[in-house]
Amino acid sequence: MATSRERGALTHPDVHKLSDVNRDILKILSRPGKGWWMLFGLAAAGVGLFLVSWGNQIVNGIGESGLNSPVGWGVYITTFVFWVGIAHSGTLISAILFLFRAPWRQSVYRAAEAMTVFAVMTAGLFPLIHVGRVWHAYWLFPYPNSRFLWPNFRSPLIWDVFAVTTYFTVSAVFFYLGTVPDVAAARDQATGLRKKLYQVISLGWQGTDRQWHHFGKAYIFLAALATPLVLSVHSVVSWDFAMSIVPGWHATIFAPYFVAGAIFSGVAMVITLAVPIRKVWGLEAYLTTKHFDALAKLCLLTSLIVLYAYLSEFFMAWYSGEEIERTAFWNRLFGDYWWATWTMLTCNGLVPVMLWFKRVRHSIPALFVISFFINIGMWFERYVIVVTSLHHEYEPFAWGIYRPSLTEMGIMVGSFAWFGFWFLLFTRLLPPVAIAELKEVLPPPLRKQSKEAH
Amino acid sequence: MSTTGTGLLASYEYLDSTVDAIEELRRAGFKEITAYAPYPEHHIEHALGYDQSPVRVFTLVGGLTGTAAGFAFPAWTSLDWPLVVGGKPMLSMPAYVIIAFELTVLFGALATVIGLFINSRIPNLKPSVIYDPEFSSGRYGVYVQAPSERVDEARRILNAQEPAELREGTEAAHA
Amino acid sequence: MTDGIKRRDFLKVLGVSGAGATLTACSTEKVERLLPYVTMPEDITPGVATWYTTVCDGCSAQCGMWVRTREGRAVKVEGNPDHPISGGALCSRGHASLQGLYDPDRIASPMVREGADFRSITWEEAEALLAQKLDEAGGRSLFIGGPLGPSMAGLVDDFMESVGGSRVEYEPLADAPLREAARIVFGVDSVPRFDIGEARFVLSFGADFLETWLSPVEYGKSFAKMSAVDDHGSKGRFVFAGPRLSLTGLNADEWVPIRAGSEAVVALAMAGIIAEDFGDAGPYAAMLAEYDVRRAAEVSGVSEDAIREMAHRFASEGPSLALGPGAAGHHRNATAANVAVMILNAVAGNVGRTIHFDAARGGSASRPYGDIESAIRAMASGGVGVAMVHGVNPAYSLPAASGFADAFASVGFKVSFASSMDETSAMADLVLPDRHFLESWGDTSPVSGVMAIRQPVMQPVPHFNSKQTGDVLLSVAGRMGRGMGAATFYDYLRNGHRRMHGSDAEFETAWRHALKKGVVVHDGGGQGAVPALRAPDTALAFGAPTLDGDGDLTLLVYPSSRFGAGEFSNSPWLQELPDPVSKITWHSWLEMNPHTAEAMALRDGDIVTVTSPHGSVDVPVWTYPGIREEAVGLALGGGHTGFGRYADGNGVNALALLPAETEQPSGALVTVATRVTITPTGEHRRMATVAGSDDQHDRPIAPAVALAALGHGGEHATEGGHGSGQHMELQGVGGFVPMAAPEEEVSDRFPMEGSRHGEYGDRENTARWVMAIDLDKCTGCSACVTACQAENNVPWVGEQQVVMGREMQWMRIERYYESVDATHAAPLDVRFLPMLCQHCGNAPCEPVCPVYATYHTPEGVNAQVYNRCVGTRYCANNCPYKVRVFNWYSYTDAVPEPMNWQWNPDVTVRENGVMEKCSFCMQRVREAENRAALEGGRDLRDGEIVTACQQSCPAEAIVFGNLRDPESRVAHVVANERTYRVLDDLINTQPSVNYLKKVTFHEVASGEHA
Repeated sequence: MATSRERGALTHPDVHKLSDVNRDILKILSRPGKGWWMLFGLAAAGVGLFLVSWGNQIVNGIGESGLNSPVGWGVYITTFVFWVGIAHSGTLISAILFLFRAPWRQSVYRAAEAMTVFAVMTAGLFPLIHVGRVWHAYWLFPYPNSRFLWPNFRSPLIWDVFAVTTYFTVSAVFFYLGTVPDVAAARDQATGLRKKLYQVISLGWQGTDRQWHHFGKAYIFLAALATPLVLSVHSVVSWDFAMSIVPGWHATIFAPYFVAGAIFSGVAMVITLAVPIRKVWGLEAYLTTKHFDALAKLCLLTSLIVLYAYLSEFFMAWYSGEEIERTAFWNRLFGDYWWATWTMLTCNGLVPVMLWFKRVRHSIPALFVISFFINIGMWFERYVIVVTSLHHEYEPFAWGIYRPSLTEMGIMVGSFAWFGFWFLLFTRLLPPVAIAELKEVLPPPLRKQSKEAH
Repeated sequence: MSTTGTGLLASYEYLDSTVDAIEELRRAGFKEITAYAPYPEHHIEHALGYDQSPVRVFTLVGGLTGTAAGFAFPAWTSLDWPLVVGGKPMLSMPAYVIIAFELTVLFGALATVIGLFINSRIPNLKPSVIYDPEFSSGRYGVYVQAPSERVDEARRILNAQEPAELREGTEAAHA
Repeated sequence: MTDGIKRRDFLKVLGVSGAGATLTACSTEKVERLLPYVTMPEDITPGVATWYTTVCDGCSAQCGMWVRTREGRAVKVEGNPDHPISGGALCSRGHASLQGLYDPDRIASPMVREGADFRSITWEEAEALLAQKLDEAGGRSLFIGGPLGPSMAGLVDDFMESVGGSRVEYEPLADAPLREAARIVFGVDSVPRFDIGEARFVLSFGADFLETWLSPVEYGKSFAKMSAVDDHGSKGRFVFAGPRLSLTGLNADEWVPIRAGSEAVVALAMAGIIAEDFGDAGPYAAMLAEYDVRRAAEVSGVSEDAIREMAHRFASEGPSLALGPGAAGHHRNATAANVAVMILNAVAGNVGRTIHFDAARGGSASRPYGDIESAIRAMASGGVGVAMVHGVNPAYSLPAASGFADAFASVGFKVSFASSMDETSAMADLVLPDRHFLESWGDTSPVSGVMAIRQPVMQPVPHFNSKQTGDVLLSVAGRMGRGMGAATFYDYLRNGHRRMHGSDAEFETAWRHALKKGVVVHDGGGQGAVPALRAPDTALAFGAPTLDGDGDLTLLVYPSSRFGAGEFSNSPWLQELPDPVSKITWHSWLEMNPHTAEAMALRDGDIVTVTSPHGSVDVPVWTYPGIREEAVGLALGGGHTGFGRYADGNGVNALALLPAETEQPSGALVTVATRVTITPTGEHRRMATVAGSDDQHDRPIAPAVALAALGHGGEHATEGGHGSGQHMELQGVGGFVPMAAPEEEVSDRFPMEGSRHGEYGDRENTARWVMAIDLDKCTGCSACVTACQAENNVPWVGEQQVVMGREMQWMRIERYYESVDATHAAPLDVRFLPMLCQHCGNAPCEPVCPVYATYHTPEGVNAQVYNRCVGTRYCANNCPYKVRVFNWYSYTDAVPEPMNWQWNPDVTVRENGVMEKCSFCMQRVREAENRAALEGGRDLRDGEIVTACQQSCPAEAIVFGNLRDPESRVAHVVANERTYRVLDDLINTQPSVNYLKKVTFHEVASGEHA
């Protein structure tokens, strides 16, 4: 798979032999340090908060949220879209950049893929959290019930069910297959129970020519399938809104707009995660400023697309001359939720402008901070879309105000802990960087050269 | 694999020696050669003369099945218990396109995995002796199954490339 | 063999349950014959409703009622169409009387005071104790009660006479000044009948005849008749003159914002102008000269021209009718003001045309507050041994300053007949819980010539060991050896009525007929006897009344259209019913003109302290363009302290700001008497309002059309065809085709092959249910909202939930200001729009539901399947009308015994987490269809199906029916030129609810929601 162009893409004084990669990556799987345990404890506590808040809501009723009429969707759907968005960059980096042979993806894509899987796991919870009768949520799946009553395939929510479950399955499979050879590598160094465990996880991988051959092909096909999938998933999510007639939701621009936003937020999240990982595991050799520069450029590009989408939305609202549409967007900028809108515009439109400068792109602390702003901004983008559109709709007499409740906040914060919980486990159990693929981009060991060397 | 003869497993530090060994063996007419590598190495595949993998057929069939199901199932359910919603037609094909697309991807992906498992003989959990942990780390391996009368020739070819290690054994034949 | 055993067991069970049935069916006390309206014989058929007639005792209007009972429980009250007053309609308070019946705070048994608290005793003991105390009191006893029916009044009077003592009648919102004025001007000691329906020009000086004044339902009906566009394309005009727009005022075509207390001078000035031209002021001519238009303009604050024009219209656009200040205008010159208005009417020649003294109202005695005042003095001076209070709550409804509480407390032995604890009964020594009127016998004669029997509609609610006061008095009298010729009040009542008939047989038939029909109407005698003006025998001051206090804002205290003076405050339905004007629920608010508020830097919800010389209250501000800048308004009915779980602690009691003073000479309580000062507390609250924006934002929601622009706006006018858009017809295969093309055949691909579970019927035999609402008739009174809540088991959610925006009512009366100007006389334009599920053809809510919980029925109804709902709330988001409400909690779990007895067995009680909305009262449709099926499978008759909202509407603004029946009334209404459908032109939702545009006299701004 690795083309000659990629050969030698990874050159670093500390890494000359193929086995050096195993040395550097597999050491991460050794005993966790105090820091890891602290983070893990924090995450576990957050998951506790998450479960308590949700449990309370299930027992007492969805009224524990701040939702009302007219604002029937709020923080839950906002956070749902946020996490689905986060997921996207993972698939983008692993699948799309894989197909395009981007030379820098190898070191980041494993972590990115893991992020994808866990982000979808997190996102998938929110539709359950936000429904009024979660104990009946399985009715959304087409299963043969006694009355042969099937779901309504015209409903964007059913599209969601199919899109998100498909996305989760495919990205999980893609992620898992990718780890197989590396787990085999881990197996070959491990002992005792871990060895047995890895033997099972690696499916008894040996790295024979036959295995590599089919593996390679399968991997390409999966990548080829995942690429349109990732684009479709956020389009479908955007249609949850665009298919409605709510002013501020009903827009044709939504699908591309959401996909760009998803990648934007996802890449930002990759940076947010990669920076500490790099420090903690000493992966400076594999995660160089070159990688961060590439990620930053991707951020910049998507930020421009998103900003363009914002502006064209406002422009079209004005240009349409349609009073209700105009009111909706005027209200977005200067209404009760102006602060959310301006937060969104600042974080997603203004802050990324700094990425035009090479010095910023090459300063990892700077990128870290900017990525935080982008994460916040993108959460608010969804909040703005969901809430401001609903609270001022067609019927002026029915306009209302929505204020998130503590329960909602607890669940929202808890979802980050839930995500972190799985991610931390991942860093301890599976090789967080793709060993085999790194070797592809190392200069291959050749007897001739070594002869000359001697 | 025939049960008579000897298996030879050579492990190499270098890619070019591995490739040369394989090419020599094939030129000498050895059939049952297995190469090991820590990463997918197309030079080796080339040396072994692979062509297209049948996995793609699985992908194609799976995908098409998904497409068909994605249109047929919603259509059937809508007609099975006709309920008019929002004045939309009983058969709202545009809506079903999304279902069809998602199922295409889902079935296609799962079929691909099945194809991979079948073709590359995984999962295969029972430990094998024709393997060296180094293969997942830094070394390449070449295993050849030689009929007893040609063992010497095989050994010569493998040694010619200065293997880091060469193991032999009839027991390997049963691997 | 086992079979046989099974059968025997089964029979046993059957026997037991049968016995159970009989037990519940027959009374535990003496059996009284309850005569159902339709079903004979009287026994209850499970699953089938039985209707009884009775009379509402909510207010002095005494509307005739039908009560729907299921399995022996009253579940719904409705107006009795045969009754000349209610004419089939009912107000919110009437509907809420059911909650009074099932009020969990009713008293469980007789109680006697023991130190600080009460001890339950038997009726035996209680009556014995009362008899003994009355003996001891030796003639020094007192009976304070509200207006009573003829028989009850007679009984009480006889009783008081026999035990020695007197009866005092007291009614918080008495129409005394009006009655007094009638006496002064015409020498008639009764309240005349105002025939609003006959008038073409109605001028109200603050009389809230659509809410609280005299007989709101009756006037609602006749007002609709007056203001509706008739088939000649003309409509009556309504001008409201007063400092504050009540709900009645909001329905005016023009508002003349005169200062509080200037009614008299304005009326006299008008009378003067009219008298000059034509007409004759008789003995008042001299007086009229004194009050010329210039002075009127000064006092009232409106221009002379405005007053002149009003006068000229009043004279020329006759028959006209001026209505005097109601309880909201009880200032220190209230009687004078009423006199002035009477003179105006007389001069304009309305007496005998729109004002009738035959068939006059009975109602309350002449000096309500005057009498209670002397009673208070008597009690305070220790002149009373036993004080009995029945049906009123003076400790709450009198100003604190009246000293009633102290005087009452000083009485040796205090008896209360209250059926649920209130501020007064809390002070009593003996509490004898009365029956609710739906459990009692009685008779009423609200208007001479109309006599109605009140009969119990169900066995007394078993949770409460209550006894009708009439029975108590009779048995007490018996114990005291002063028998009154009847063992029970039922007998007493019948004896009374028997006297009016010859033979017993004749009486029995008449009696049965009266009970079945619910009312007996015999013509009120002397037709058109027009009394002449007579010289005033009392000195009257017509000028502006004096106001206490040095504040710069005049306090207007007015009766609440939901709570009256507070006697209805313990009903959660009424508490949660948005006030028709402010749209605020549960708590009180202070109405303040936006400019005044701006000057004081106050916003909606800022809590201020209102201080008068007599007291002060803290209340949130609500800015209201419908009140003069120098006035603030505060409604009665809030601030209960011991009235029940739903009333206590909600809002403030406006009486705390009033002096305990009577208006002379009528003796009515003065409600507009003080100036107040407003001091911000710095606190702010989110108000429990259901109102979003008061402005339509130029959206096609509640459009209007100028009368001049109408071809022929009557309900039956069909020129112009469909208002806007086309009614679309549901196709079998989904999708819609124009309704106007019936010949277009439905696709034969439907029902689909192999469709096993459900199919759409053919269009010939399925109905297409649609509704039409005439916005020109709708007054926004909100009776429909409570009716719907009662019919459909719609829960109430409480103040906090309303604050969060979670009210559950299936109907919402939207209120939009178009032009409201408090500075000078100007056309008034406020739009009311009853918003309910529009049952759209292209319903946006349907396709987004992932589980088909909402879908379109062949009958064109947007159905909601509660059991299937998962609660994604997508449908509500996508509903442009925002008529879908969600069960955020299990609100119905909060409904206490026995209030849940009221639930309608025909309607599901929804659980936590499901969406719900208006169902077009589908249960009533099915009931009618079943009835038709039982009656030989006949076709449904047009008008046979009446939705709850339609049934209760006094204005008959709502029409429901089958659009596929070309002869149906609704089909005609839909064809009206005024017909439009909300937002339809914008988003093509094809609603099944059609609205008829409001008709205005002024030009509607061109292009504005055309």
